[in-house]
This record gives sequence, C-alpha cells and structure tokens, in this order.
Amino acid sequence: MKNNPIQPFEKTIEDSRQRLMALSASGRKTIGYFCTYTPIEILHACGLVPIRIRAGAGRMDKAGAHLPDFICPYMKLSLEKALDGHYDFLSGIVQGYSCDAACGLVNVWKDIFTDRFFHAMPLPYNDTRASRTYYRSALFELASRLEDLGGHFSETALTESLNLYSCIRSLQLELYDHRNKGNSAVTSRNLMAIVDAGFLLPPGEYLSMLADFMDRLPPDPPAAENGFPVMVSGSLVEDPKILDTIEASGGRIAADDLCNGFRQIFPADGRGKTPVDRLVDRYINRFPCPARARATDRSDRLLALAKDSGAKAVVFIVQKFCTPHLADYPTLSEVLKRNGLASILIEMDETWQMESQVKTRLESFFEMMGSAG
Amino acid sequence: MEKTHKSTKRLKTAKELQKVVSDYYLRCISARSEGRPVGWMPPMNGVIELFYAMDLQPVFPENWSPVCAAFGLAPENFSVSENMGYSRDLCGYLRNIIGYVHGLMNEKDSPFGGLPEPDMLMSPGGGCVPVMKIFHELERRFPDAKVFYADLPQVAVEDIQAYHIDYAVAESQRLVGFLTEATGRRLDEDRLKEVVRLSDRACELWDEIMSFRRCRPVPFSAAEMGIMFVMVTLQGTQTAVDYLTRVRDEIRQKAEAGTGVIEDEKIRLFWDNIPLWYNMGLFNYFEKYGGVVVAETYSAAWSIRLDKENPIKSLALKSLMSYPLVSCVSINKRKEMVLKACRDYAIDGVIFHRNKSCLPITLGQMEIKEALEKELGIPSVIIDADHMDERNFSLAQFQTRVDAFMEMLLDRKE
Repeated sequence: MKNNPIQPFEKTIEDSRQRLMALSASGRKTIGYFCTYTPIEILHACGLVPIRIRAGAGRMDKAGAHLPDFICPYMKLSLEKALDGHYDFLSGIVQGYSCDAACGLVNVWKDIFTDRFFHAMPLPYNDTRASRTYYRSALFELASRLEDLGGHFSETALTESLNLYSCIRSLQLELYDHRNKGNSAVTSRNLMAIVDAGFLLPPGEYLSMLADFMDRLPPDPPAAENGFPVMVSGSLVEDPKILDTIEASGGRIAADDLCNGFRQIFPADGRGKTPVDRLVDRYINRFPCPARARATDRSDRLLALAKDSGAKAVVFIVQKFCTPHLADYPTLSEVLKRNGLASILIEMDETWQMESQVKTRLESFFEMMGSAG
Repeated sequence: MEKTHKSTKRLKTAKELQKVVSDYYLRCISARSEGRPVGWMPPMNGVIELFYAMDLQPVFPENWSPVCAAFGLAPENFSVSENMGYSRDLCGYLRNIIGYVHGLMNEKDSPFGGLPEPDMLMSPGGGCVPVMKIFHELERRFPDAKVFYADLPQVAVEDIQAYHIDYAVAESQRLVGFLTEATGRRLDEDRLKEVVRLSDRACELWDEIMSFRRCRPVPFSAAEMGIMFVMVTLQGTQTAVDYLTRVRDEIRQKAEAGTGVIEDEKIRLFWDNIPLWYNMGLFNYFEKYGGVVVAETYSAAWSIRLDKENPIKSLALKSLMSYPLVSCVSINKRKEMVLKACRDYAIDGVIFHRNKSCLPITLGQMEIKEALEKELGIPSVIIDADHMDERNFSLAQFQTRVDAFMEMLLDRKE
C-alpha cells in the first residue's frame, strides 16, 4: 500500500468545491441534503448526484443575519458557506425531515435561494403497514418532483442505485471491523475521511475509490492496539481532531454512533418485493437518530454495539445546542451506567477548537476508568 | 418593573378566567374519582375533541408550564431537571415539566391541586423535538400509563397532499381504536359531531373576537391573551363557547363605545413568538409611550375551522396544520400570516421575541422581519429572551431596546 492510502479521500474532501463546480458546469445536476434520512437512492436513480452539505469549522458572520446564535454549528456554518457561494454548484436541496433545526434551516435556505429546487420530505416515525404505505407515497412524490427538475425515475434505475449504495455501505462496514482489529490504515481519523468523502462524490466513482483502498489494505495485526476501548456517540463530527484527542488522551475508539459514521451506514440494505419497498425497509430499520427515536430504544442498540465492539465507556460528542442529543443524554447515561458503562459528555462549538479543555477532561475520565479497573 | 411581573387586565372576562382555569384543573384532579380516564397530550391537534367526545379528561403538560411560570415554580422545576442532566440549552417547557413530574408533583402544594397522574399518554411522533422528548421521558416516569405512539407528517401547510391527509385520517382512526381498547368506551358519532360543532363554534368566536382588533382604539391587547386558555384546553366544550361568547360580548361593547385599552392610543404593535410567561406585564410596558400590543402570532393557530359533517377528516387536518402554522415548518405561510395581520390591524411596529426556548418559532423571524420592512415598510425590533427561563432575560436590555424603538416609532408618526 502507498505511504498515504487515505490521500484520495482527503483530497476529495479538500477539492470538493472545485470538483463539484466543474461537475455542475458539465451539465450534471447536484442536489444537496443535510440529514442522512434523505433517500439519496431516489435522487441517484433520477440521474442526479446527491451531495451531503458540510459545514466545517469557523465562525458565523453573514449567517447571523438569518439565524439565532442558539442553533447548532452545522446549521450556522452550512448557511455561512452557502452565503459565501460555496454551494453555488447545487441545483437544489432535498431534506428528509429530521430535527427542528434542519427543518428551519432548509426553509430559510429556500427563502434566500429562491431560484433553486427545494423539497422537504416528511418521514413517518412508526413502523406500521399504514406508515409504510405513506412512506412509499412520499417517495413517489419526491421522484415526481425530481422529474420536474429534469430527472427521470424508473424502478430499474432505483434497483441499480440500491445495489450501488448497498455495496458501498457493506464495504464501509467491513472497514469498521478492520479498525476494531487495529489495522494501521484504518485509524478513526482515516475512517472518518473515507466515509466523509463518500458524501461528496458520485457514488459510482466513490465505490471504485473504496474498492481500490480495500484491495490494497494491509492485513490486520494479531491484537488490537492499546488504549481504553470506548464508543463515541453523538452528532455530526466536522473535525477529526476530536477523535485524535480521544485517542491521545488514553482512549481507543472501538465503535461509533455518529451522524457521519456507523449510524447512517447500518444497515447496508433493506428487504422488499419492490425496490421502493426495499428502500422504505432500509430507512425504517436504520440505526436511529435521536431526532426520531426514544432514548430507551437507542440505549438498547448502544449496549449491543458496546458488547459487540468491546467498548467499556461512551464519549458523547454533541454539537452545541443539539436538542435531540442533549435531551437523550440524561436517560442514556443513566441506562449505560446501570449496565456498567460510564460516559462523558463533550459539547463542541463551531470552532471545533477546545482541544486543551477537552483533553484535560478526557484524560481525567480515562484515568478514572483505568483506576476503576 | 421587576423581572417577573403580571399583566394589568382591563377586561372583566379576562379576570373571570381564573375561575375557568381552576374549574378545569379541578376537573382534571377529580377525573379519576369521577370515572374519567386521564390522558396527557401535546396541545394544538385534533385529539382533544376525541377526548371530550368520549368523556375522557385531556391534560396538557406543555400548558402546565405557563402556570408554573406564573406561580414562580419554574426555577425549582429547572433545578430538578438540570440536576438530572438536562442542559440549560434545552427548551424551558421540557426542563420545567420534567422537573415538575420528578419533583413538585410528588408534593401536595401545587397550584390548582397539581396535575393528576396519566392513565394514558398520547406520545407524539411529529411536532417539535422538545415536545417529543418530553413525552419520551413521561413514558419512563409513568410506566403504568398506556401509550399511544402517534405519528403525523411534518409538512408545510401549502404542500399538503391527499396522501398526507389519508395518513393523518388513518392515524386518527387508529387513535379511536386505541382509546376504545384502553378505556372500554366507544366513540358515539353524534356526540363527536356535536363536540366538533362546539369546537368549530369556538374558532368562529375566536375569529370574531380577533376581528375587533381592527378597531382603533383597540378594545383589548395581548395583555389579555390568557383568554387563549380555553382554546388550548377546552376546545369542543360548551364551557369554551360560553366563555368566548361572554368575551366577545364585552369586547364588542367596548368596540362600539370606542373604549380602548388606553386613552390615547398612538402606536399599534405586533408581538411575534411566545410571551414571557413569567412576565406578562411586559405587554403593558409599551403603554407609557401610547403603545398597545394589538396582535400576536400565537393567536392565529386557533382559527382552523372544522366541518362537523366530516369530523375525523376535519380533526386530522387540524392536527396536520396547527403546528406548521406557528413554526418553521411553514415559514412562507407564517410570513404571509404575519404580513396579513399587520395590514389588517394597521400595525406600526413589530416586536420579535428571539426565544432561546423555542427554535422552531424563532427560525424564520429574520425572513419575516425583512419582508415586513421591504413589503410594508414596517420597522421591527428583536428582543432576546426566553418564554420560560427568566435567567435568559435581561429587563434592562429589554427596556433599552424598547425605549429606543418606541421613540423611533413616535418620531415616525409625527
């Protein structure tokens, strides 16, 4: 393997704007989305390129004329970037309804960028026959609206898109196994870059890059590396430095439940008689986001994930003002504690620069974990 | 003025409200002993009419928070929930009610006798995230309560399609099945039609009451908005209709006599977002400048008319529309409504309460602000505060901003 096998993924993230501007100039239409409950398979099946909007780190300036300060960094800086022209390549936005902040932001976005396509898709919260029927109707409405934008939907195309994304997610899940076994090419930082790059490329192109990486992956070492095994759970993590800080403070990330991690990858696929049923099944059975699920349902999943991965504590990394995560934290931490898992909550603002303070807290946490045996 | 302050009420009927409120909570407390099962639910949906039609007792934990704020109990409730790990950045309704059910509810000295424990919980999928999370915690706090897992599409009012309505109707029917099974009571169709008729009559009266706000001088202001209590808790009852009829009569009389809230009305104001429940007296603050808060966003959500001949569909539509109308789900619609209200009520200036406890209503305010200036030339001011948590409110800052704003509006008038 080359010295820096992760370079293509990092470069994809770094060059995303120029590359996507060029793609858009070549006639391909790109559609932005915030939440990973957005059914990107429909977008792709219609011949469009789904691109997840990233915010990065920084400060809110222009966006302050539209948003209050008490909204999460992801929303603040996404709008900041959009107002700076960073997302000029997008033909529009499609949003699967998740939290209040995302719902409000896409409406504000719609109000500002009046010449672009916009569609918000309300998703059901329950899994019943009626809710699946409703879900199918919502997907068909989305496909129909995308056709107005020049897309063309067919069930055959949707099957191909489902197969493509299923393949991508299966490979990404394999990488999680390699990370847990201590594979040097798949550090937590690298894994995040690999997954994040997938949000910014046409899926076919990304799959080739991913397959190439997998082909040249070194063998797993005989034993996992040192460090206290933890799970990280929380919102979108925009800067991998926080993962480095966890590992530099004595932790080893054995599993994650992050918005740009395992939570949006698992399961790789769904089941159903028709491609639309298969899509509905996958999204209904998704590893749940707190904006759409009970803390008690999530705690069962987190406990199972901790057991499978060997994680012995949980580090919650939450974007400041993220209501769904902050509201679940008291219940989750209590249930985890009852089951022998300690936890710590770290809130990150839009600068993502709280390293020394966070490091001190994490070092104390891991020291305590170590002394607790 | 202090940080917490009650409003000055001029309507006789607004003063009567105390009895309506205490009677309602007395019915809540006595429901179980009178054989009426108690269900806790979020406000602003079509569930309330089904409850009254089946002689069940609806209780609104969200609405209990203003009561706690008015009685000065919110700080203690916040202390309980914050000690449990709930962040101060979370909505004040959430921190208040979770603190209450884990704290003061277990003691005897609550206002109006406190809230009765629920036999059922109408736990929402949809609405804002804090309300969903309140009910998730209530499910844990009251494990013996039967839970209805509700589901409602979050769709902008202008984007509602037939399949959204079909799903909302199917959910209403599923709810009727749940209530029947949970309580052993059957829904009588004629009784439902009557309750829906009463609910619609309340909306009609509400619209009529609001229409008097066009009068100059305006016969009542936002300081009297406690009258909204019956729209939240008693929609579908004769009590609500009777009370609103008395309110309408009194306001009509004042309007016909040309009696305004204040003697020399100079400035007509609009308030956007939830009031500061611990300081309703702010609505009177503007009066020293000849200013009256003539209208507010909150009151628009109670104008959804119902068809008694098609009750389930009407209630499903009410459930679909109520929350989007006052939140960021329908910013375009909200903008349209605020602009229309400002035209209808001849508004001179708008106060935007940038509410730390309510992101869904706060988002979109800047877009509405801009439209007001561009399309109607109406200036506005932003007040940073919180509808529940007085720690997020600075009276001095409020006064500084409002004083400057009112002086500017008076200058414009001259």
